[in-house]
Amino acid sequence: MSVEDKKTKITTEILVMIGAVMFLMPVAFLFITSFKPHSEIINFESILPQNWTTENFSQVLTNFEEIPIKKWFLNSIFVSTTITLGVLIVDSMAAFALSRLKLPGGKWVFALIVATLMVPGQILLVPVYLILNSFGWLDTHFALIIPAMSGAFGVFLLRQFFVGIPKEYEEAAVIDGCNTWQIFWHIILPMSKPALATLGIFVFIGSWNDFLNPMVFLDSVDKYTLPVGIALFQNSYMTQYGITLAASALCTLPVIVVFLLFQKYIINGISLSGLKG
Amino acid sequence: MVNNKSNKYLGYLFLLPYLSVFVVFLIVPLIYGLALSFFGWEMLSPEPPQFLGLGNYKEALESDYFVKALWATVRFVVMSVPLNVFVALLVACGINSVAQKRQGFYRAIYFLPTLLTISVAGILWTWFYNSEFGLFNHILSYFDIKIPWVTDPNMAMKSIVIMTLWWTLGGAMMILLAGLSNIPKQFYEAASLDGANVWHRFIHITIPTLKPVLLFVLVMQVIGSFQVFGQTYIITGGGPELSTRVLVHYIYDVAFGEYRMGYSAALSWLLFLVIAVFSIIQFRVMREK
Repeated sequence: MSVEDKKTKITTEILVMIGAVMFLMPVAFLFITSFKPHSEIINFESILPQNWTTENFSQVLTNFEEIPIKKWFLNSIFVSTTITLGVLIVDSMAAFALSRLKLPGGKWVFALIVATLMVPGQILLVPVYLILNSFGWLDTHFALIIPAMSGAFGVFLLRQFFVGIPKEYEEAAVIDGCNTWQIFWHIILPMSKPALATLGIFVFIGSWNDFLNPMVFLDSVDKYTLPVGIALFQNSYMTQYGITLAASALCTLPVIVVFLLFQKYIINGISLSGLKG
Repeated sequence: MVNNKSNKYLGYLFLLPYLSVFVVFLIVPLIYGLALSFFGWEMLSPEPPQFLGLGNYKEALESDYFVKALWATVRFVVMSVPLNVFVALLVACGINSVAQKRQGFYRAIYFLPTLLTISVAGILWTWFYNSEFGLFNHILSYFDIKIPWVTDPNMAMKSIVIMTLWWTLGGAMMILLAGLSNIPKQFYEAASLDGANVWHRFIHITIPTLKPVLLFVLVMQVIGSFQVFGQTYIITGGGPELSTRVLVHYIYDVAFGEYRMGYSAALSWLLFLVIAVFSIIQFRVMREK
């Protein structure tokens, strides 16, 4: 490597580092500022708190009458987990049928499913709202969970993965007397753990952060998920940034943990879904 | 095929759970929405839906609100997409040239903002942009500068674009990074031996090799940006003077503020048509790959 190249390399890394600090700042601010007392937030003096306090957090967590954040947290956990499990089960069965089973007209069904990948979610909002209304599901968690399983992305992703699993495994299983369900459950699914993990993380983070659907489909404050709860919060505690930021920090922490634990699956997913050049 | 002797419709048994949700919550709403767009129907009024033909579409195209919302959306797309793709490419190239063992670290940091839900990200930036005690103006006050981040109709959309760059860069960067790691190192080594400098290598190797991925990211960004909503809804509420009320926000207001379901369905389909043009381009691009 030439001297000039080495210089460029170091300059580049310094620039990448500066950019990284800029990108990290707002997130760091969120967490740091939530430990500041109210007066220090209003009159900004320094980045770090002069007097660290957990006052904001204890207010968020104890003022249960006004701020049902525990309830929202549990709602978010319940809704996101159910959606994730539901999508994994329903989509993997569909992908198995589309990649492995005899399916009269299956090609057309798959083409239809893939075509809907380009339908933007927002244009379905009004009709889905009306359908949920006619089912009597508005203001229930069904309204968030069931429609979330209709997306084509997971079926597409898993099918691409299943197609790549060599047929020999199943042929051997058939000779051993396995039926179709056993092949799905004991052969295909265990071999697809990375793909399932990838899809699971995408779905979990997506539904944990979903804002528009709960905002439109839910009315009762005690049924809210965290993102809508926090937005409501901002309206009623506009001036109390400390409390709002503490609630936001609590909402963000689980996603960051999930991301850091499963980072490699997210990167896998990007190449799996064919986005890689 | 596994089940050559068993029931030939067994496959559909496996497909059934997904297919039923898919039909009820994707196919039916799609058709229902299209049908609805030809009717005048106010959900809260006792009057039954009334067939209007293309009336809703005509109303939209003649409405100042629609034109304003379309204009706001186009302004956002035109500012945000090139900026996002350009910066994402710079960051991806930068990270790609860093030593392998530190790449994951940088990648994670740049990706972090995309993990924040819009209400959290929005609250944070509302606070940064606040003209009274906001962080940005506080820092700028040392230089005697005051920027009306979200209070000036000309500035507000730019502020949204800046926030969006921070919030959504990670996704595009990840895809570009995956594309970059696919370019064989020998290409660069050979070029170095021929005396090509960094800039030459970027223009003559990186860009041409990366072109399909770049195009893919570009179209994805356009499609996504036409659907912008959360940022403007939370940070500016569509203001000031409706300068940031984008199409999805307008559809939302018409549907759940005025309960004019037919008209909002027509607006949705107009948005869909715009996006469909770009989706078709995307499908072409992907097929070429």
